[in-house]
Amino acid sequence: MSVPTPTTEKQQKTKTQKDVPWNVVVLDDPVNLQAYVTLVFKRVFGYPQERAEVLMMEVHTQGRSVVWSGGREKAEFYVQQLHGWQLQTKMEKSR
Amino acid sequence: MKVLPTLEGGLCILPESDADWLELELICADAGRSSHLAESLADLMDSDSEWEQYVMPDLVQSFSSQCRYVAAAIEDARHKNEQGVFIKPSQVENWYGAINLARLSLEARYHLNAIDATDDMKPELRSAHFRDRFYLLLQSMILEYIMDAS
Repeated sequence: MSVPTPTTEKQQKTKTQKDVPWNVVVLDDPVNLQAYVTLVFKRVFGYPQERAEVLMMEVHTQGRSVVWSGGREKAEFYVQQLHGWQLQTKMEKSR
Repeated sequence: MKVLPTLEGGLCILPESDADWLELELICADAGRSSHLAESLADLMDSDSEWEQYVMPDLVQSFSSQCRYVAAAIEDARHKNEQGVFIKPSQVENWYGAINLARLSLEARYHLNAIDATDDMKPELRSAHFRDRFYLLLQSMILEYIMDAS
């Protein structure tokens, strides 16, 4: 009788895939005001003013900013929050 | 039209003519269908997230509710011949959200950010441009006097 080893391999693969962090990415748009975007980052993530401003400026100057990274469920929660504040936001797998 | 801060930490919009009232009423008309923004936001998500099924309906509901609140507040103030329309701190997110929807909708329709305001703009475009500037001014005051202050 042989031992069914493939099961173990499959479980490991699934676990590795789950562990890949997801980025919450905010995209620039011509409407939302800088002060508003900063305020939203402070409210949604609890970031201090300085960090929120740095991220907002990244959105403004580079067109996008990774504002949070972590598990998929939490990332989806944050994207939902940011969509509710009308910010163009998407999720990407972290490289 | 005048916009003044109130003692309770809000703002009061004081329309001075029928045209001013009309301009306020156009906020929700400009916002249009709330599902447009919710759909464009859902398009940013991958299909695994099932955003359209689980999140989009809530967003549509939330955006519609913001517009309904603002439309009712304006209509109520006008109907009761009140001097102005009050933006209370407790309702500031409804106001900011509805005005933002109006600006996003105008931008999507007219691409105002990409054009220079000139005298030879077509009347429809010029009107959209000035409404957008008025909404921007309102948003700036809401941020400065209510949202940032809190």
